[in-house]
Amino acid sequence: MALVLQLLVAGVSLGGIYALFSFSFSLVISTTMVLNIAHGVFVVWGAGIAAVLLLRLKLSPFFAVPMVVLFFVGFGFLFYWGIARTLMKRGSHFLLSGSILATYGLALAMESGLGTAWMTFVDASPTFLLPFTLPSLKILGTSLSGNRLVILCLVVLMILGFYLFLRKTFLGRSARAMAQSIDGFLIIGLNPDRTASLVVILAVVVAALAGILYILAIPLNPFEGLPLTLKALTVIILAGVESLPGILAASVLLGLAEVIGSYFLGSVWAPVIGYGILFLVLLIRPTGLFGKGIA
Amino acid sequence: MREKRLGWALVLGAVVFLTLLPRFLSSSMLMVFFSGFLWLVLAENYDILGGFLGYIHLAQGTFFGVGAYTATLLLKLPAIQSTGPFAIPIVSLAAILLTGLFAAAISTPLFRLRGLYFAVATLVLVFLLRSLVMNLPSLTGGTYGAFIPRQYYQSTLVSYYYGLVLAFISVGINYYLSQNKRGLCFIAIREDEKVAGSLGLNATRQKTIAYILSSLPSGAAGIIFALNSGFIDTLIALGIERSLLPPLMALLGGTGLVFGPVLGVIILRLMDVVLFHYVHLPVPSMVLFGIVLMLVALFIPGGLLKSHWAQKITKGWAVKTKGKQKEI
Repeated sequence: MALVLQLLVAGVSLGGIYALFSFSFSLVISTTMVLNIAHGVFVVWGAGIAAVLLLRLKLSPFFAVPMVVLFFVGFGFLFYWGIARTLMKRGSHFLLSGSILATYGLALAMESGLGTAWMTFVDASPTFLLPFTLPSLKILGTSLSGNRLVILCLVVLMILGFYLFLRKTFLGRSARAMAQSIDGFLIIGLNPDRTASLVVILAVVVAALAGILYILAIPLNPFEGLPLTLKALTVIILAGVESLPGILAASVLLGLAEVIGSYFLGSVWAPVIGYGILFLVLLIRPTGLFGKGIA
Repeated sequence: MREKRLGWALVLGAVVFLTLLPRFLSSSMLMVFFSGFLWLVLAENYDILGGFLGYIHLAQGTFFGVGAYTATLLLKLPAIQSTGPFAIPIVSLAAILLTGLFAAAISTPLFRLRGLYFAVATLVLVFLLRSLVMNLPSLTGGTYGAFIPRQYYQSTLVSYYYGLVLAFISVGINYYLSQNKRGLCFIAIREDEKVAGSLGLNATRQKTIAYILSSLPSGAAGIIFALNSGFIDTLIALGIERSLLPPLMALLGGTGLVFGPVLGVIILRLMDVVLFHYVHLPVPSMVLFGIVLMLVALFIPGGLLKSHWAQKITKGWAVKTKGKQKEI
């Protein structure tokens, strides 16, 4: 019973983090049609920058987190105007192949840049981890990791925020409109650059925040960016691009599968489980799962 | 006709030049050329899929890895070692065969996918295979890698000629495809798979043939590489670069053109050698290559050889790739 509860909390909180960056990933695909392979690397960069600010420069989290956010607002702005917008001007085939190759290049450059810089200047065996341990909580005689519970609460809050953003705010609604039909979006006189750039910035910032949450519980290696993107892709392919509840469910499922799998098989098999699921899903139900707007 | 004769003369000149070249090279330059040949094999093989068939294949390195690992692991077996001088031919044949079988086995499920899904699935394949190799240390040596018994090491000079022959075979395959009905079938599939199918073309069969064709020289390149270096591990044989650089080289030069990947390989190898071996640029090479891939994909999606000035010069031997690209 204790074990079940612990695995459940670990799996669901991991799944929650997956949900955060998978959803921001899907938001970029559905509005701009750019498949951003570098998304997982943004997660890693968020984690890395936060680790530098908090652990090396010993800044207070209340100062460090806004700094990370600010950095990624700028970065998202550059990403939209420099890369996404150049690709969006193309027809669908060239948009897809171009976005895969361009963001793949960006991902590898950023990944090895951060990894090598970290190994040269900070630590020869690179892992990002924030060693804040919160007191664990006892429920039904089981002690549950405080960090995991805090992560869970923050993830739930952010997902709720996402939901309200998409339903209630003008920007959220226009993002949904853009995802549904770009022609309709243009006819009613909305500005695609405005909506898409803000959505991309939001997505990039959320990815970075997901990175900070990730290293509260799990050590992250700087070269894990592409595997994280593949996790987001797994979720998106399982759930489709536009449904928030679907993405949430698929992420939690993936998180649970990895946690339970690595508990029984050993943690080296966790990535294999993730890739295996993605590969199988691709082969069994390849089409129709991506929802509208991408295929 | 005159252009064609000029082309053949140039090719013949290149053969003679590259055959005689090792006499004038230092051993480190020999190594540079040798690895350049292997990259050329991978890039040309990638282009069968990426250029002719129109499928973005991000797992060209897996064939290289399968070839290298099969050869290394087989050479450790006492039964193989007891065959004496036949060990290397037997092992090479077996490794090439296994690479082909591997390609045939994964092509069936992979080619149920198209466009984006195909690209993503191949990307996953790289990571999946690498994780599997790392997690089965009793078979593959895991993260520690695997050694080839010392008596089978090949000198760089011998490897240079193996690499040269293999590179010529690979360029030859792509040239053959560019002149031949089979290549036309691949291009028809790239332009519009449905229309090609409705004309009576068995698209699945053609795609499987293309996939196996693109796997064999890559697997052989892996064998040559393993025999020369004597040691392989997951980073060397199955690293992400092995799968990333071939598309980059082909794209930079011009995909779908026989000599596009050649140009791409020359440019990238030059950059690599000059910037990292002579200038010692203090950034990892992947940063540079990543940025180059990004810029190429953003600004010259067709590659250098398809730009207007280049088309004029190479008109005689370039495959015509005009017309609308297929929508996916």
